[in-house]
Amino acid sequence: MGYIIAIPLLPAIAFAIMAPLSNKARNRAVPVSVAAVVIALGLSVAAFLAVWPGGHGEALYHSSATFATIGTVKLAAGILLDPISATMVVVVTLVGAAVQIYSIGYMHRDRRIGWYYAALSLFTAAMLLLVLSDNFLQLYMAWEVMGLCSYLLIGFWHEQEGPRKASIKAFLTTRVGDVGFALGLAVMYVTAGSFDFSVVLHDFAWAPGAATAVALLLLFGAMGKSAQVPLHVWLPDAMAGPTPASALIHAATMVAAGVFLVARALPIFEASGVALTVTMLVGVTTALVGGLLASVQHDIKKVLAYSTISQLGYMFIALGAGGLVAGFYHLVTHAFFKSLLFLGAGVIIHAAHTQDMREMGGLAKKMPVTTVTFTIGSLALAGIFPFSGFWSKDEILTVLWHGEHYIVFALALATAFVTAFYVARMWFRVFTGPEQTSGLKEAHLEMLVPMGVLAAVTTVIGFGSPYFAEFLGHDGEWPAAAIALTSTAVAGLGLALGWWAYGRRSQVLNTRPLKIRAGWVYSALSQKLYFDLTYDYFIVGGYTRLAEALSGFDRTVVDGIVNGSAAIWRTASAVGESIDRVVIDGFVNGTATLVRALGARVRRIQTGRVQSYQGLMLAALVLLMLWFVVKGA
Amino acid sequence: MTETVNGVVFLVMSFATIGGAVMMLSTRNVVHAAFWLLEVMLATAGLYLLMSAEFLALVQVLVYAGSVTVLMIFTVMLTLRRRDDAVRPFEPGWGGAIMAALFGGSVTFAIAQFASKLPAGIFPEAAPDVAAFGEKLFTAWMVPFEIASLVLLVALVGAVWWSGGDGQ
Amino acid sequence: MNLLQPVGVVSFMALSAVLFSLGLYGAMSRKSTVMVLMSLELMANAVNINLVALSRFTAPVEMTGQFFAVFSMVVSAAEIGLGLALVLALYRQRQTIELDAMQELEG
Repeated sequence: MGYIIAIPLLPAIAFAIMAPLSNKARNRAVPVSVAAVVIALGLSVAAFLAVWPGGHGEALYHSSATFATIGTVKLAAGILLDPISATMVVVVTLVGAAVQIYSIGYMHRDRRIGWYYAALSLFTAAMLLLVLSDNFLQLYMAWEVMGLCSYLLIGFWHEQEGPRKASIKAFLTTRVGDVGFALGLAVMYVTAGSFDFSVVLHDFAWAPGAATAVALLLLFGAMGKSAQVPLHVWLPDAMAGPTPASALIHAATMVAAGVFLVARALPIFEASGVALTVTMLVGVTTALVGGLLASVQHDIKKVLAYSTISQLGYMFIALGAGGLVAGFYHLVTHAFFKSLLFLGAGVIIHAAHTQDMREMGGLAKKMPVTTVTFTIGSLALAGIFPFSGFWSKDEILTVLWHGEHYIVFALALATAFVTAFYVARMWFRVFTGPEQTSGLKEAHLEMLVPMGVLAAVTTVIGFGSPYFAEFLGHDGEWPAAAIALTSTAVAGLGLALGWWAYGRRSQVLNTRPLKIRAGWVYSALSQKLYFDLTYDYFIVGGYTRLAEALSGFDRTVVDGIVNGSAAIWRTASAVGESIDRVVIDGFVNGTATLVRALGARVRRIQTGRVQSYQGLMLAALVLLMLWFVVKGA
Repeated sequence: MTETVNGVVFLVMSFATIGGAVMMLSTRNVVHAAFWLLEVMLATAGLYLLMSAEFLALVQVLVYAGSVTVLMIFTVMLTLRRRDDAVRPFEPGWGGAIMAALFGGSVTFAIAQFASKLPAGIFPEAAPDVAAFGEKLFTAWMVPFEIASLVLLVALVGAVWWSGGDGQ
Repeated sequence: MNLLQPVGVVSFMALSAVLFSLGLYGAMSRKSTVMVLMSLELMANAVNINLVALSRFTAPVEMTGQFFAVFSMVVSAAEIGLGLALVLALYRQRQTIELDAMQELEG
């Protein structure tokens, strides 16, 4: 089984070959990268088939080596092939291969295609290393490399303002989550004394308190990477990158790494209990918010981005309910149908020369292959039998029902309804109605073949779901008829509503129905529920503005109340008024003035002179040293 | 006898070091300051010899005295338009002086506090020679040594990148 | 301090402290970038003296401090090379190497 090491190594070698030559190589770099990922796909399938009959959650292959010794601490890197990682390598290499082949057609005119392929290869290598790692430290390293690749690919067209800003936003937002991850690793090491899965997840007996701390910190990291509320703001902006890269990174694989992390660390979450509930709450909030926001976007890629956020929330719900198989299975099916949808969106954008759905329409007649594959993806997303999304969504709902989480079950059904609605909205706008673009034509073959493969996988994979559950070590069964019927009915209702609003009259071109019927809902949603505005205002805008806002609040509201009561008092007693003005007003205004003055002072520290910063650091150092000396003497 | 010799050498060298540093900071001519820095470096090499660190003394002379000072003088030369620019007004920098004095004072205080815990007295007898040093460097310290050479290479490339080229 | 007492590790540490403080003063008060870099070299030198002295008096056979001093020299050589390259680049861009001229980060 030694060949497993070659799976992540091949793309890494491809990256090492291409990176220094990327400017010169241009299209000559493409075969190297594609060959690496296709061979890796072959090896992954072989590894998967080797594990398949064994199954039942046990590791089939494990090998590790120490790469550094710090004092008595040994840091090891290793490869662990168990059912989860075997499934993930197949998913990653299959979607990766599809995206790379598709990109031959999509990117062939770009000057920096060599660099694009190099970054894709590095990303693939990191993701494969992540899923195959046997300890949390290695997982964290691969995690960070993926973050870097994501930054590079979002900002691929860095000549333009938008991608540049989006890449920085994505990098910083995920970094906020990574701080939680790093702290979680530190706490884990202090408590359990190891990073190894075998020790941390199986041998070590977790106390509930420590388990809660570690699990919540890991969850925070996962929320950053998997774009969960409130750290989801980066993912829609990340759509500024090339569409195939979005398909691979921001839909199928990287954003699912957070889910993968939680799935891997699930024993810790279960030892905590509280953390499971938090995971479920985060998931259900995200699923609903993401679905609602997807319903008002006009940019086709943003619809898909919010839909990704929502579906990732779905996976978190499942994991929070303890349904490892359900959550992980949804990860797998989502990876296939969402990358299919993104690749389809790429073709549509190429053909229609716009990303705005209001300017599309009537594509069905001119682009039959794209229409069929995109429709399969859409139906899978909406959860319609027999496409893959139906099966995995059903498993999640079953887990919720058996776990007696009835409120979450209802909210998950609501999300399914919203999902079906925005899928219908997108589909009818793009494929039906009047044609608004001239010269529509079908894409190249190298773009259609990967989509066809993904569509085929999406169609058939669902029928394997009971075997898959058994493979992961749980009892597999076919979905219960009642739940299946309920979810299908809800999805059907959503699709019908979408048709009624957007498909019924083929000339409807804007969002009138929702806008007219529920104006305030629409405006709140179209402002992305004010998340970005809130962050801009309070975090980006900063301290001074907070101080000013406080004093403004003070002048209008607090002063108003104080003055109002003063007016009543004035009639009763002049003494009261003077007390009022001097003491209460003074106190209230004083607070505001104090905050503002503090802000102004703090600002002055920022002189921009290196040497004054140096002085500050030195002063702190002297104090620290004196403290040590006095304490030690 | 050796103790006295050591004491005298130490006094001379430390006077040269500190005196050179003071002169470097008090001179108003940047070029002169570079030469005083050279003097400090050479005196430090003497201190290394006193501590029987011959290899370090050699490296000190080669690297600091040889190349760093030359590099300094080159930079001064390239960034001054006129000869007179080398002479600068005296900058007392009272804030910096106070901070540095505070720092020096607290460090001295710390050394005094912990003096009893430090190994006292004279030089230990055992003093491995350069051969032993080299053997250790290429066995036990092999990997850090290679990394250090990589650091130097990267720094070299970076320096060429920044300072060379036609810029914008 | 009695100047005639045998030379010990404390003497070297005191010397190093004085040298370091002088370098610190220079780094904080000089306006010329080149002078600041020279002061940094003084500080690095003080650190190296400390390393070698402690190595000589506590681990004379292992020489750990001496190896550290070698690597510290490598790093400071790299630093000075890059620092001077940066000075040259700045000079090309703004025709000055005064620190006062670089205050873009003022808040």
